[in-house]
Amino acid sequence: MKINVKITVLLFCFINGIISFAGAAPSADEGKKLFEANCASCHKVDKDLVGPALKDIDKRRDIGWIIKWVKNPQAVIKSGDAYATALYNKFNQQNMTAFGSLKDDEIKSIVEYIKAYVPPAPAPGTETATPDQSGTNNSDFGSATLLALLAIAVLLIFIVMLLGRVNDVLKQRVYEKKPELIPENQGYSFIKDTFMPWVRGWNKTVATVMAIVIFGILFAYNGFKYANNEVGVQKGYSPTQPINFSHKIHAGDYKINCQYCHSSAEKSKQASIPSLSTCMNCHSYVTAKDKYNGQTSPEIAKIYKAIGFNEQNKKYDQPQSPIKWIRIHNLPDHAVFNHSTHVKLGKVACQKCHGEVQEMEVVYQRNSLQMGWCINCHRESNVDVASNPYYEKLHARLKKEGKTEIKVAQNGGLECSKCHY
Amino acid sequence: MENNKQYWRGLEELNPSPEFLAQQKNEFMEGVPMDEMLNENASSFDLSSNRRDFLKYFGFGIGAVALAACNNTPVKNAIPYIVKPENITPGVPNFYASTCGACATACGIVVKTREGRPIKIDGNEKTFNQGAVCAQGQASVLSLYDNNRNKKPSVKGKESDWKSIDSSISKELEEIAATSASIKIVTGTINSPSTLKAIEAFVSKYKNASLVQYDAVSSSAIINANEMCFGKAVVPQYDFSKAKVIVSFGADFLGTWISPVEYTKQWSKTRKLNNTKNMSRHIQFESGLSVTGSNADVRIPVKPSQEGLAIVSLYNEVAKLLGASTIAAPSFNVAANLLTHTAQELVNTKGASIVVSGSNDVDVQIIVNALNSMLGNIGNTVDLDNYSKQRTATDVSFDKLVEDMNAGSVGGVIFMNVNPFYNYHALDKLKSGISKVKLSVSSSYSNDETAQAVSYVCPDSHYLESWNDYEPKAGKYQLAQPTITTVFETRQSQESLLKWSGVELDYYTFIKENWKNTILAGSGSFITSWNQALHDGLFYKDSVSASARSLSADVAKSASSLTSNTSKGIEVQVYTKVSIGDGSQANNPWLQEMPDPITRTTWDNYASINKTTADNLKLKDGSIINVTIGNDKITNLPVMIQPGQVKDTISVALGYGQSEKIGKVASTSGKNAYGFRNSKNGNTISWSENASVEKVGEDYAFARTQTHHTIEGRAIVKETTLDRWTKDATSGNHGHAHIVSLWDEKDYKGHRWAMAIDLNACTGCGACVIACQAENNVAVLGKEEVTKGREMHWIRIDRYYSFNAKKDGKDARITRETEYDEEKGGKLVQDWENVSVVYQPVMCQHCTHASCETVCPVLATTHSSEGLNQMTYNRCIGTKYCANNCAYKVRRFNYFRYFQNDRFDFNMNNDLGRMVLNPDVTVRSRGVMEKCSFCVQRINLGKLVAKREGRELAKDEVKTACQVACPADAIVFGDRNNPESEIAKLFTNEREYALMTDDEKAMMKPFMDVVNASMTESEKDNVKRAYALLEEINVKPSVKYLTKVRNRADKAIDNELENEMALDKPHGEEHSGKSHGEEHNAPAHH
Repeated sequence: MKINVKITVLLFCFINGIISFAGAAPSADEGKKLFEANCASCHKVDKDLVGPALKDIDKRRDIGWIIKWVKNPQAVIKSGDAYATALYNKFNQQNMTAFGSLKDDEIKSIVEYIKAYVPPAPAPGTETATPDQSGTNNSDFGSATLLALLAIAVLLIFIVMLLGRVNDVLKQRVYEKKPELIPENQGYSFIKDTFMPWVRGWNKTVATVMAIVIFGILFAYNGFKYANNEVGVQKGYSPTQPINFSHKIHAGDYKINCQYCHSSAEKSKQASIPSLSTCMNCHSYVTAKDKYNGQTSPEIAKIYKAIGFNEQNKKYDQPQSPIKWIRIHNLPDHAVFNHSTHVKLGKVACQKCHGEVQEMEVVYQRNSLQMGWCINCHRESNVDVASNPYYEKLHARLKKEGKTEIKVAQNGGLECSKCHY
Repeated sequence: MENNKQYWRGLEELNPSPEFLAQQKNEFMEGVPMDEMLNENASSFDLSSNRRDFLKYFGFGIGAVALAACNNTPVKNAIPYIVKPENITPGVPNFYASTCGACATACGIVVKTREGRPIKIDGNEKTFNQGAVCAQGQASVLSLYDNNRNKKPSVKGKESDWKSIDSSISKELEEIAATSASIKIVTGTINSPSTLKAIEAFVSKYKNASLVQYDAVSSSAIINANEMCFGKAVVPQYDFSKAKVIVSFGADFLGTWISPVEYTKQWSKTRKLNNTKNMSRHIQFESGLSVTGSNADVRIPVKPSQEGLAIVSLYNEVAKLLGASTIAAPSFNVAANLLTHTAQELVNTKGASIVVSGSNDVDVQIIVNALNSMLGNIGNTVDLDNYSKQRTATDVSFDKLVEDMNAGSVGGVIFMNVNPFYNYHALDKLKSGISKVKLSVSSSYSNDETAQAVSYVCPDSHYLESWNDYEPKAGKYQLAQPTITTVFETRQSQESLLKWSGVELDYYTFIKENWKNTILAGSGSFITSWNQALHDGLFYKDSVSASARSLSADVAKSASSLTSNTSKGIEVQVYTKVSIGDGSQANNPWLQEMPDPITRTTWDNYASINKTTADNLKLKDGSIINVTIGNDKITNLPVMIQPGQVKDTISVALGYGQSEKIGKVASTSGKNAYGFRNSKNGNTISWSENASVEKVGEDYAFARTQTHHTIEGRAIVKETTLDRWTKDATSGNHGHAHIVSLWDEKDYKGHRWAMAIDLNACTGCGACVIACQAENNVAVLGKEEVTKGREMHWIRIDRYYSFNAKKDGKDARITRETEYDEEKGGKLVQDWENVSVVYQPVMCQHCTHASCETVCPVLATTHSSEGLNQMTYNRCIGTKYCANNCAYKVRRFNYFRYFQNDRFDFNMNNDLGRMVLNPDVTVRSRGVMEKCSFCVQRINLGKLVAKREGRELAKDEVKTACQVACPADAIVFGDRNNPESEIAKLFTNEREYALMTDDEKAMMKPFMDVVNASMTESEKDNVKRAYALLEEINVKPSVKYLTKVRNRADKAIDNELENEMALDKPHGEEHSGKSHGEEHNAPAHH
C-alpha cells in the first residue's frame, strides 16, 4: 500500500510538473494573441510593413538578441550593433516602440507563433457584407419612406374614390338627358346593393367617434413608439468623414489593436481620436502607391496636408490644419460615460458597444446608445470582485453569504449618480 | 436650543414686520412669476385667450413638435490634436504647481488643467499656505477668461502691435535718459527675485530710472515701525498657532490682512478640540464688524480714532503688571477691568501671546511693537528674522513720486499692474502730475482708469499665462509657471522690461539663469534641483533661528501723539472685503456674487451704520445717503444697519465703483471709497473724521442673501463656552430628540459618504463657496436675480447674530464682559455694538430619510447605496416639490437658462468664459433643480482610480472641493463605513447611538465597538460636540456639525456654572423666539 501511495504521489507530481511546465512554455497560441495586440500594427510575418517581415526571425537572430531588441531597440542601436544599425537605416530610421513590459517568455512565445505561422488561405468571396446603413429596420426602405408610400397610397385611394364619384355623377347626368342609354338590367352589384345600404344604416355619431378613437389609438401608439425609439436616437448614423478612413483595412485586415490609435480608452473617460502624429507612425512611408498608379493615395495625402508633411523632403515644413472628424457616437451632456471604467475594469470588448468595427468600411453607430441599452448590460454583466483587492471586503462578505458573483446592477450600477451628475 | 439666546440673521428676523412674516410663509420670495415665464418682455401679458388663439397655439404646437421630431442628427465635430503633447491625455486633468498672482501674498497653488486650459485652483500643501487658498485666489482662474481684458497693445486708445509699440517706447525712453528727468517704474509689492533683477537690468540701461512700489492697501506703517524699533524695514512673520492669547486691534487677519489663509491655518490649529482641551483666546478691538472680529472670543468695539488710546491703555496695564514704566494717558472709555483682564492674560502667557494691529498709523505700530517686545513675543510669535516679504511697499515713496510728477522732474512712468488712478487717495494731484510726464506706460490687464490715463498700454498676461518667481518669506522661494498659452496678444510685463532694456533673453530663460546663479547655486545639479523646484512649485531654504530684539524707539512720543486724538463727529472707516479685496478683480462675477461673510450682501458696497446712530440720523436700512468729508464725497451710498458697528462710525468697503471700461460686472455695482483715506506721517490711513451725512433717498434694494432660505428660527446652531465644555463635554449639545421612525433602516454595505463641519473652526471666509462654484459650474445670476432670492450657490454660509444676552436682569451669561454690562447699568438688551456671531455653512445634508425624495413625482431625486442624495437633472421636470419639502432649504432652482442667455451676460455666455467650466459636471438647463452632490464626480473618480490600481480606497482619498479649499480645516469628509476614517468617529458615538431605532442599534453595534476602541479619550469628548440639524424630524442627515465653543468664561461665570447647567435642562417650546407660529416638535431634552 505504502509503495502504491508513494508511486501515486510521484506520478501526481510528475504529471503536475508536466502540466505546469507545459503552462510555462512559450506557446504559439499565446504568441498569436500577443503578436496581434502588440506587433501587428507594424509587422507582418510574411511581408514588410512599417517594420520588416518577421518570418524566420528565429533563424536570423538568436533569441537573446531578439529579447534585448524588443525590450529596448534604442539601446541596441546605441550599443553599435551592426545588424541593428543596418535595420534602423533600412527602415527610414524609424524607431521601434520599446516593449519593456513584455516578459522574456512572452517574447519567446511570439517567436514561437512566428515559427508556426501558416499564411491564411484566401477566403472564398473576399467581399464582406456591407453594413446595413438604413438604420433600425431591416427592410429595404426606412420608416420615412414607408410613411411616404403609405401617404401616397391613401392619396391614390382617395383619388380613385373621387374619380369614381365623378364618373357616377357624369353618368347620372347623361342618363337624365338620355334615359335610353340606361342599361336595362344592371344586375347585382355588391357595393351598390349590399355594402352601401349597410354603411348607410350606421349611426353617424357612433361611427365618427369610433373612427376617431381607432385613429387616435393608432396615432398615439405609434407616436409614443416613435418618440421613444427614434427621436434623438442615431442608430445607424454614418456620416461622411473628411478622410475616407477604413476601419476594415486597419482594424480588420491589418489587425491593428484598437487602442494603438484610441490610446486613452484605458486611461481616460474619452477613448480619443488619434492625433495625426499617430497616423504618421505608419503613413510616413505607407502610401499605398501600388494601388494608385504610383501616386500617394489621395486619402493619405489628406493626412500629409493636415500635418504639413512634405513628401519630397520628408520634413514637416508645411502649414498645418486640423482635421474635423464628425462624431458618430454622441451621448447627451447629462450622461457621463467613462471608457476607462468599461475597458480597463469591466474588460468590455470595444465591439460590444461599437459593433464589429473591424468589418466596417465606413463606421456607423451600431447601437442605440439609449439608457435602457446601457442598463441592460449593467444588469447582465458581472463585477470582477474576486481578483480586484478593491472589493476585498465586499467579496469576503459575498462568500460568507454563499454568493459567488454580483452584477454591476447590484453594485450600484443602476443608480442615477453613476452616470448623471 | 441649548441656551435661550435668541439667534437672528438680519434685522428682519429680529424685529419681524408683518410683511416679512407673511413672505416667509411663501414658497418663493416673490410670487410665482407666471407673466415673466410666459413672456419674458411684456410685463402685462393677457392670459385670457379665446378659442381661436387656442387653436392657433395648438396648431403651432403640433407643427413645432412635428418639426422638432424630424430626426436630423446634429453634426458634432471631434478635432484631434495634430501632434498630441506627450503629457496630455484627453479627459484626464494635469496639475501644475504654481504661485497665485491674485495679490502680493503669493500663496502656493496647484492648477488643475484639462486639455490645456486651467479650470480650478487649489492650494499647494507644501507652501506656507498649507494647501488652502482664499476666495479671491480660487476665483482668479475666471479672471483669466475675462472677455473684457485688454487683448492687444494700444497707443492712446488705438490698437497697435508689439513691434511698433516697443520701438516707440524704447525711443522715448532713450530720449528721456538723455535728459535729467527721471524714469519711474511703479509696481505693487515685488518679492520676485527675477522681476527685481529685470528691473535692475532696466535701471542699468536707463540712468535716472528707479523702482517705486505702491500697494493700494499697504502695510507701510508696520514696515516703518519695525525700521524705527528694530532697524529692520520688514513685515514680520507672525505665528498665530503658537499664540495662546491673541489681541488684535483692527487687523482682519482671518479675512484680508497680509496673509489671511496662512493665518487662518495657524489660528484654526488653536481652535481645534480633537486632541486637546485648550484653546487660544482671541480678543479683537475694532469698529466695523470684520471676519476676524466676528470670530473673536471677545470683541471690544472701538472707534477708529480711539484705537490708539486703547492700545496705549493696554500698554500701560501690561507695564503695570510687569513693573515697567507707564505712559501718561487719558482714561480709555472701556471699563478698566476689561483692559486689566486682557493685560493679565497677556502677561500670563508671556512669550506665547501676540498683539497685532491693522492700522497704517506708524505710532500705533510702534506701541504694538513695544507691547510685543515687553511681552517677549519678538522672536517667538513675531519673527523678524524669517520675515515676510508679502508687503514691501511704503506709501511715502509713491506720495513722493506724485510730488515729483507735479514738480515736472519725472520724464517717464511705467505702471506695472497697479491702478493708482482708481485707488490713490489724492486723485487730483495724480491726474495733474501725469499731464506733466512725457512718457506714460501701463501694463493694465483691463482697460482700467490707469490704462485710460496713460499713452501706451502694454497689456500684461494673466499670471496663469506667465512665468514668474516669488519670495513671499525671506529665503522661501516659489515658482509660477504658465498653464495655458497666452489667450490674447498680451505679454507679461517682465518680458516688456527685458525688451526695453535690450536684454535678448525671454523671461523664462532669464528666471532660470537667475536661479542658476543665485538661488539654486551650490545645491547640486542645477537641472535636477530646478526640475524639483518647478515640480513642487517651491524651493524653501531652512529658517534661521529667530532671536529677540531690543526695542529702540521713542514709545512715549508715539503714545502722546495717539492719546491726543479726540473723537470728532462721525468717523468713516474703509476696509477691504473678503470677496472684492482692493478691487483688482472687481470684474470677476464669481467674486461679485459671493455673499460677504458679515452682511451676506452681494454685488455692492454700502455704508454700514450702527442702529442707534442710524436712528439719530433718521436713517433706515436701505436709506440712500451722500457722505462728505472735506472735499471727498460719495453720493448715493445705500445704508446698511450693521450689528456690531460702533456708534457714530460708518464703514465702507473699498474696491467698488470702478470704470465701466473695465467691464459690466465691475462697474454696475458700488461706489469708490478710496478717497476717504488720507495721509498721516507719510502713510495712508484708512479712516477719517467729521463726516457729514445727508439723506437723499429710501428703499435701496440690496441683493442680500442673509434671510433667504430661512429656517424660521429653529434651533440649528449650538454653542457653549470652553469652561463649561471642559467640565462637561456634552455641554451645549445636551440631550436629543426622541425619535419615532416611520422608515425601515437600510444597511449601507459599501461606502457611505458623510461630512462634518466644525463650527468652532469655521471663520465664514467663503473660500468654500467659490471652490464649489468653480468645481460644480454653479451659475452667476446677477444682482437683480439675487435680490429675488434666486442665488444658486450650493453652499450658503448662514451667519447668526445674537446679543450677548441677559437673564434675570444682570447675568451676562457666557460673555466675559460682566463688568462691561454693569458699567451700563446691567442693561445689555439690544446693545447694537455688542453681538456674537456664529457661522454655519449649510449645503445639501444628504439625509438618509430625505424628505425631498419622497415627494418627487418623477423620481428625479433618489438615494444611492452609498448614502448620497442623487439629483438627476435630466429627469427633473421642475415641480419644485423637493425644494418645498426640504427642511434645510438647500435646493436651488434654475428659473432660466443661465448659459447662452443675454440676460445673464456673465462667464457662461461667451466662449471665453465657458472655458472655465468643469467638463465633468453637467451645466444645468432651465427648469431643473440642483444642489450639492458631495462632489460625486470626485467620489466616482476616486473609486475608479482605486479600482484601476487594484487597492482599497484610502480613508482620506476622496476630498470635496469645499473641504480642500477650507483654510480652517473645518470640513471633514469621508466614508463613515470605514472605521479608520475621521468621519466614522463623528457618526458612531454614543449620542448618535441613542438616536437610533432598535433595529439600527443592533445593526450598528459591532461597527461602533470597533470605532470606539480606536478613539482616544479627548477624541471621545470631541465627538460629543457632534449634532445634526433638526434631529427631531428624523431625516438623519449625513452632515454633522460640531458645537461652537467660545473661550470667554471667567471666574464670575464659573461660580454660576452649576446654576446655569441646571437651567440648561428642559426648555421646551420657549426656545428661540417668536416667529414660528405653526407647530413643530420641539426637541425633548433629557
